[in-house]
Amino acid sequence: MAHAIETHGLTRRFDGRVAVEGLSLTIEPGTVFGFLGPNGAGKTTTVRMLAALIAPTDGDAIVAGHALGVDDTALRRSVGILTEQPGLYDRLSARQNLRYFARLYDLEPARVDAQVERYLHLLDLWDRRDEPVGTFSKGMRQKLAIARALLHEPTVVFLDEPTAALDPEAARTVRQFVKGLRAEGRTIFLTTHNLPEADELCDSIGIFQRKLLRMGSPGELRAGLFGAGTIVRVVGDAARYVPMARSLAFVRGVHAEGEALTMELDDPDARNPDLVDALKAAGARIRYVERLQHSLEDVYLRLVGGHK
Amino acid sequence: MKKALVVLEKEWLELRLQRALLLATLFLPPLLTTIAIAAFVLVGLVPASGSAGRLPLIPELVGLSPQELSQVLAGRQFSVLFLLVPIFIPSVLASYAIVGEKRERTLEPILATPIETWELLLGKALAALIPALAITLASATVFVAGIVVFAVSAAVRDLIVTPGWILAVLVDTPLLALTGVALIVILSSRVNDPRTAQQISAVLVVPVLGLIFGQLAGVVVLGPGLALGIGVILAFVAAGALWVATRLFQREVILTRWR
Repeated sequence: MAHAIETHGLTRRFDGRVAVEGLSLTIEPGTVFGFLGPNGAGKTTTVRMLAALIAPTDGDAIVAGHALGVDDTALRRSVGILTEQPGLYDRLSARQNLRYFARLYDLEPARVDAQVERYLHLLDLWDRRDEPVGTFSKGMRQKLAIARALLHEPTVVFLDEPTAALDPEAARTVRQFVKGLRAEGRTIFLTTHNLPEADELCDSIGIFQRKLLRMGSPGELRAGLFGAGTIVRVVGDAARYVPMARSLAFVRGVHAEGEALTMELDDPDARNPDLVDALKAAGARIRYVERLQHSLEDVYLRLVGGHK
Repeated sequence: MKKALVVLEKEWLELRLQRALLLATLFLPPLLTTIAIAAFVLVGLVPASGSAGRLPLIPELVGLSPQELSQVLAGRQFSVLFLLVPIFIPSVLASYAIVGEKRERTLEPILATPIETWELLLGKALAALIPALAITLASATVFVAGIVVFAVSAAVRDLIVTPGWILAVLVDTPLLALTGVALIVILSSRVNDPRTAQQISAVLVVPVLGLIFGQLAGVVVLGPGLALGIGVILAFVAAGALWVATRLFQREVILTRWR
């Protein structure tokens, strides 16, 4: 099966300044790809290139089956984009906003109203359909902008900070909606600063700062950077078991804090029984044994911080 | 072309919802026409006493009665408004349609659709030009009808509704309006407030004012030749301004160069 997005050495310079450098990646259809990076990293420029809004200085890309720079109008017809700012017409109603864009996206006249109605229902905006958008809350505006990006049923959808500044309930609705889009087989290119959200939604993640620093599934990124590990919570001061733990051949690193003994292991699934036996033999009374789980934030900060 | 009409339809829908803008622009020409005809009728009712013979008049006004002279002077002053209004209205409408869209950050979602930038520009330009020119021409027609009906003599009518003025209204003002819209597009790349764009584009009224004062002073006679000559010059100016505007109104330029 062809990739949903495929780029080779995609580069963009602005007056000699490199905004995006040699971006090469592939994203599979029906997956959510998280594009993470600090402000000014070049994420918006990348999205604009992939949505055929601006041209790359170098490199090439295929998005939704269309090569960039060949038939950009067809490419734009195949992708949807939620821009950083919702950019809605405040005086027009929700329905008028969507009808305008449905027509710009070349929907057949007979389908325009049906699609508008479908997405207003899906995003729970139908009851407010004829009210001016200027009266909408931030969450409603964001949902309307998402509806606008999907009216023409694109196979690839770019979402730039879809839950930024939303209250928890609205953010959860949007996240559920993104999961629904993936279930329909659409490819989502998600730009976000919300790392737990990326962890929850994304099948693969690219950490980006002018160039792609690392790419993989959230689990692969964690394992690649931090290895695997186990936390054992014991009764009393865990520090007294550090020398014993260091003596075990399969333990690569040990850190004690209060009652928690954190250890990096080669293969926790296979070694945890031996580890527990050794600790018990050393007199430890064990409360809990947990998997050492680094957050995506740890991964992000190590990569982005290390790159600065 | 189809999408240009979609844009035009949306612009008019938004215009209908902006009552203040609608009142300030599209109702201006009918209002001015009403005032102009009323003033024209009133000065024609002034009793004919005294003589205009000793006044320093331009040659074409010599020999008119005081009533005729009053009507000609009033009619000519008001006729000039029909040269100015088609510059003012499209500039106001286009500034809200383009600079306003830039300020509200609605341009990027539109540029993400399969629309061609020329279609977007055409839709916005037509949305500003059509109502302005239509209402100006309609008002000018009513004005001419008022002159024909209420002029105290045929000489008055002929001195106000001249072939030069008719040509200027039909040929020069649409070109000035077009130049105004192009200028707004050019200004849109640098300003973020529709009012700033309007103020700067007001520079276009300067040549028209020069023509008006020249005519009042008797230095310039707006005959058909001059009106057509100005039209040719304006056609070149409008073409140049449109060329610059279309160069600036490109996806890449709007998203990366507009400030």
